Amino acid sequence: MAKILHVSDKHVTIYIKIRGKMQHGGKRMDKHLNSIVINNSDTIVKDWLVEVSKNRHNDYTSAISEDLFESTNREFVNVIFSSLEKQGITSELDDFSEKLINLGWPLSYLTDGLQAFRRVTINFILSQSEKVDSDHLSKVLDMVDNWVDPIINQLVNEYSGSWEHIVSLQRVALQELSAPLIPVMENITIMPLIGTIDTERAKLIMENLLEGVIKHNADVVLIDITGVPVVDTMVAHHIIQAAEAVRLIGSTCILVGIRPEIAQTIVNLGIDLGKFPTKSSLRKGFQAALEMTNRKIVHEKGSDEGIESLLDSLNGE
Amino acid sequence: MRIPILKLHNYLLISIQTDLDDKTAIQFQEDLLSKIHKSGATGVVIDLTSVDIIDSFIAKVLGDVVTMSDLMGAKVVLTGIQPAVAMTLIDLGIHLKDVQTALDLEQGLIKLRQELEE
Amino acid sequence: MDFQSCVKINREWDIVGARQIGREHAKKIGFGTVDQARIATAISELARNIYLYADTGKICFEIINEIDRKGLWILAVDNGPGIADISQVMEDGFSTSGGLGAGLPGVKRLMDQFDIISETGKGTEIRTVKWVRK
Repeated sequence: MAKILHVSDKHVTIYIKIRGKMQHGGKRMDKHLNSIVINNSDTIVKDWLVEVSKNRHNDYTSAISEDLFESTNREFVNVIFSSLEKQGITSELDDFSEKLINLGWPLSYLTDGLQAFRRVTINFILSQSEKVDSDHLSKVLDMVDNWVDPIINQLVNEYSGSWEHIVSLQRVALQELSAPLIPVMENITIMPLIGTIDTERAKLIMENLLEGVIKHNADVVLIDITGVPVVDTMVAHHIIQAAEAVRLIGSTCILVGIRPEIAQTIVNLGIDLGKFPTKSSLRKGFQAALEMTNRKIVHEKGSDEGIESLLDSLNGE
Repeated sequence: MRIPILKLHNYLLISIQTDLDDKTAIQFQEDLLSKIHKSGATGVVIDLTSVDIIDSFIAKVLGDVVTMSDLMGAKVVLTGIQPAVAMTLIDLGIHLKDVQTALDLEQGLIKLRQELEE
Repeated sequence: MDFQSCVKINREWDIVGARQIGREHAKKIGFGTVDQARIATAISELARNIYLYADTGKICFEIINEIDRKGLWILAVDNGPGIADISQVMEDGFSTSGGLGAGLPGVKRLMDQFDIISETGKGTEIRTVKWVRK
């Protein structure tokens, strides 16, 4: 009767102690153990599926359909076995992890699955063994670790690589969004600001603003703060500084989009915005900008008449 | 080292092309004022496109020269202040409040003409 | 701390020399043009203070390479009369030389870190750091 050992986390510490002595035999996988695993893959897979399904109800995968969960588990376990057969990381593993990343499955599905796999496999091998001494135990643990660990490493690398990639893309996207400059007309440029402004962003805004004024040769630049949720002393200070800097390089700044509550906070905080022009809406600001550049909006007579005659003809009916 | 001052009709044009040290700046202040006195110019454009540093001393000299010229009846416009220089001035807390500015020499001349016609 | 390079401030022209060297350092480390101007201006202010109040002193530069950030460390040392009331010189608009009074508080705003140690009769030491923005 084979001795069934319950393998728990405790064994990890035992293993580490033993490994110190056994290092020289470590990396090479034991052929005999390999064949036990490969020949009994069906049993191991069955046990593993039971283990994985246990986790299913109380976590992230519970929202996934039964079919998809089943088929993904099958694919997963195939990938694990193929890496044993081929003795290393396979392209199937890359494909599989890429697929899961795209599906948005959490990394913990994979790491939990692999941990379950480690437990199941070790239990199985030990249950097949005649005698279990520390030498044998360390061999088994070594073999399973050499098999499972590279897969875990590879998956973690894939996942974190993908996260880093996404974060860096988002950072670039955010930076592009954070201080856009729109040249709407010769000599008139608009900078719409949306979202919270911190010191870092304020610096970026000022740099973009000044470079943009030079680049577009803008006589007037409108800063639209309609989309800035809170204007406190700090934000107001940065905006005033930007406007002062714009004046120094020889252009004029109009602050537009001042909502009633922002006007209230500005006055209540005692911030002096009197030094440069402000307007409640972008439209009014734009009109002021046109006046400053000696232009104005002229309504064409022709189109007005067209509409009037159209209205007349409608009335006539 | 001296900064050349060019005369064009009623205007004086100065383009500062060098890293200003204190002596050059003071010398420039004297030269400009005596040139205004001699020529009777009514407008001055100082172009700073090639200046990449204005510290508090140079800023003071420039601010002073604007006020002094004004006393002598000549309006001054500073043009072409670089964005980096403008930001540095703001950080230093220097706003050059009473100084007229324009994007470039051309705009500066337009601004002067408008001011003088008024 | 062993500083890489120092510039002696003895004559007025040394102010220009110091800021040019500072700008070169800043460029080499990877500062943008705006921060280069900030650093050069800060050096100009520090060097002028030495020239005006202490006659002689030096400005030293050290490139900081940390795991997660890079920066330029600037040290301004003189053996001048020292500053009696530091909080007073750090006030905007305070000046004994007829300047704009923007010097030291301005340097503090231009840079990211700013420390000043001064002892009357012995001299002044200002250490200031600018970090490269990521």
